[in-house]
Amino acid sequence: MSAVQPRIEVKDLVVKYGDAIAVDGINFDIAPGELVTLLGPSGCGKTTTLRSIAGLENPSSGAIRLNGQTVWSNTERRNVPAEKRGVSMVFQSYAIWPHMTVFENVAYGLRVRKAPQSEVASNVARVLEMVQMQGYADRPSSNLSGGQQQRVAVARAIAFSPNVLLFDEPLSNLDAKLRAEMRVELRELQRRLDITSLYVTHDQEEALAISDRVIVMSKGRIEQIGSPEEIYNRPASLFVADFVGAANMIPGSVKGPGPNGNLLFEAAGGVTLEIETPRHGRGGNTVALRSSYIHLAPTSGGHNTVPGTIHRRMFHGDFIQYVVDSPAGQLIVRRPPTESYAEGSVVDVSFLPTHCILL
Amino acid sequence: MRSQGIEKWIAPLLLLFCGVLVLYPLVYLVTESFNIGDAQTFPPEEMGVGNYIELFEEPKVIFNTLWVAGFATVLAVTFGFIQAWILTRTAIPGRARLERLMQLPYYMTPLIGALSWGVLLGPKTGLVNQVWRNLGFSSDFFNIYSPWGIAWVMALFEGTVAFVMISASMKSMDPSLEESSRVLGASKLRTALRITLPMVTPGVLSATIFVFAEMLGSFAAAFVLGIPGRFFVVTTAIWEATLSFPPDYGRAAAMGLSLSGAMVLTLGAAKFIMRKGSYATISGKAFRPRPMEIGPMRWLLMAIAWGYIIVSVILPLMALTLTSFERFATVIVSQMQFTFDNYQTAMAMGSLAPAFANSLTLGIVVATLGVPTIGVLAWIIYRSRMPARGAMEFLIMVPQAVPRLVFGLGLLWAWINIPIPIYGTLWLLGIAYFTVFMPLGLRTIAGVVMQVDKSLEECARVCGAAWTYQMRTITLPLLRPGLIAAWLLIFIASVRELGVSVFLMGPNSKVVAPAIVNSWLSSSSELSAAMALMQTVMVFIAVAILFRVARRVGGDVV
Repeated sequence: MSAVQPRIEVKDLVVKYGDAIAVDGINFDIAPGELVTLLGPSGCGKTTTLRSIAGLENPSSGAIRLNGQTVWSNTERRNVPAEKRGVSMVFQSYAIWPHMTVFENVAYGLRVRKAPQSEVASNVARVLEMVQMQGYADRPSSNLSGGQQQRVAVARAIAFSPNVLLFDEPLSNLDAKLRAEMRVELRELQRRLDITSLYVTHDQEEALAISDRVIVMSKGRIEQIGSPEEIYNRPASLFVADFVGAANMIPGSVKGPGPNGNLLFEAAGGVTLEIETPRHGRGGNTVALRSSYIHLAPTSGGHNTVPGTIHRRMFHGDFIQYVVDSPAGQLIVRRPPTESYAEGSVVDVSFLPTHCILL
Repeated sequence: MRSQGIEKWIAPLLLLFCGVLVLYPLVYLVTESFNIGDAQTFPPEEMGVGNYIELFEEPKVIFNTLWVAGFATVLAVTFGFIQAWILTRTAIPGRARLERLMQLPYYMTPLIGALSWGVLLGPKTGLVNQVWRNLGFSSDFFNIYSPWGIAWVMALFEGTVAFVMISASMKSMDPSLEESSRVLGASKLRTALRITLPMVTPGVLSATIFVFAEMLGSFAAAFVLGIPGRFFVVTTAIWEATLSFPPDYGRAAAMGLSLSGAMVLTLGAAKFIMRKGSYATISGKAFRPRPMEIGPMRWLLMAIAWGYIIVSVILPLMALTLTSFERFATVIVSQMQFTFDNYQTAMAMGSLAPAFANSLTLGIVVATLGVPTIGVLAWIIYRSRMPARGAMEFLIMVPQAVPRLVFGLGLLWAWINIPIPIYGTLWLLGIAYFTVFMPLGLRTIAGVVMQVDKSLEECARVCGAAWTYQMRTITLPLLRPGLIAAWLLIFIASVRELGVSVFLMGPNSKVVAPAIVNSWLSSSSELSAAMALMQTVMVFIAVAILFRVARRVGGDVV
């Protein structure tokens, strides 16, 4: 990645509102064609970061570079206005102008740039087709459905071929089913156009599904940057383990080295577990264990097997969620709907040392 | 940013401009209120609190004011509450139309109300009293030239204000709050007492205080109906003090400032209650509570709802119309003599035609210059990150806390003492109107500015539009309905303005409302009726356009 000039570079970015610090010194790069997600709970500074890149927010210090050009820097005293940055953005509220038709909305960026009439028409037609809104060009935009507004907003954002596309929680106002559909379409579109994108969301499922890389933020700082798999399988902090995916937190303490280069960890409940040695030498007194990585079986053996009793069973359709009482504490376990146990059943609970992340 | 450059010098300039407009007269007013020497000299030679102490040596005026305002408030809130309850909670026929009509009494103004009720219930000559005496009674049915009469007229007018505030609090109540009470087993009555009433109380309470504050500063009704019987409230006493010889500006200013202080305190209390106690608006959504089915009772309730419209708008206008076409105001058919003379006289009178022309001109000019200025201010205050936005908003809203009559007094005193010779000209009236209508304009435009989602503008910037391009293609078109509404509201307010005008009007710069009052106090009611009707028609044409605009945007602009 270092060989290629990053499209977006954010260096030591700090954004303050009065005394409140919204973004507290963050750094990241985004390579051309990449889709990176800023993921975090509300108030973590992800939207502020995005808006700073767009030029809609005035940071307090640090630097932002687009295509190697500094667009904001307090040391260079540079602040390129939003309209000169060549980025485009899809807003959470869609921001469809109600006094214009669909065509006029989509054509806006082209007309601002004084594109010739014929080019405007062909470009608008092209992008409307991409978002499957070709029949809607002459409709007034004030009575479109949520999903249609979303599509128009995307069409408008890509119509003038921006360098960088920013998404501010674009799917949060759609219902669950439409959201899942649009997620696939957005990813498809982004791949097709090969457009560098920064995507903000608080929905971890969405972030994992759509991104090349995920940046998890909390309280204005970056908790972890990595591929969706890295974030899910190797959370770097308690916060990430808890916020992304479903995980059990098992308190206890490290007892010393175990077999196969693993560590021995004594859970507060009394059992000793075999866990993977942390790669970066860090380690605290909690083990994070994904609910999906725990096996249940009438009897089993091998690593980390503890006896358990099914305390509660909740059928979710795509999976069954069990609350299992065990010496390692009460564990949340997700199994496919084919693995069905009644409440009160006695089971063996097992999991691999590699899935036990010491944090 | 280039655009920031523009914003950078526009903001301080506008701040300075508004600051001068608002503060300059107030400084004079405050200084003058402490002047205990010769009232005619400025700056004062002797300063002291004598003027304020004097106020309490004559407690009758204070007592009169409190009693008229208090009684009128009780009446107005009762009207408003009943109307609000009928129109938001019951299923009476024609509810939507009635709700729109409920705005009309507000545009009738207390002045027109007072004149027409004077025509209806004036001693001996009032139309109703004529009928009453004709039926064989030896005295009047009711004498409107009394504290009761003043309160009645003010209550009819302020009833709409109470209605708007109370019905807003009723509408913002989530019906599920009542439904859950019913589901939990409470009876209809228990639900009404334990859930509905506490939810509505803050709205009613703040409406009461707000209306009371407005009543304290109201002038027209007490002026038209109180002066003939020498019944004075604070506002009319201020006016009286400036007419005495030598004019006692010091005492007038002290009264005016005390009145403003009382109003600010009361309004502050209303705001406090609103913030403290309005559980009802937690979600900020507007609900349409399921209206009660009330069976045959609905005809009675509909009659009551219409009754208010009839008494506050239709009956007064009919009385004015009838009178304006008669030689002598009468309802005895055999004595009626119809004529157009009143209208001819009105237009032929040396001062009146110019008064109409002046009022129209002022309305158009003030609205046309005011809307863009206030529009820019509203945008800066509610959209930009400019420093001192809060100070700017506060400054612009100050005239609202000062009764117009008092502000007029300050302006009068301020401009008499300045070497620029604009006293007694339309220029001064224009400046005065602009200053006192700034809060109205700002409120109206702010309502629309805040409705326009910020991201609509931001999106234009991100799409590559510079500030001016974005303003032209996005912001202004989206604000247009609000700007038109603000224009019309300022126009309407200018055309019917009385409080400021009575002080600032000169022999060559007459305007309509004071001219009507003068004619009422000095000549015939028939002539005044004709003039009042002409003014009302002017206002109602503007109101009709306003409603049209409001309906097109589908929101309440007023």
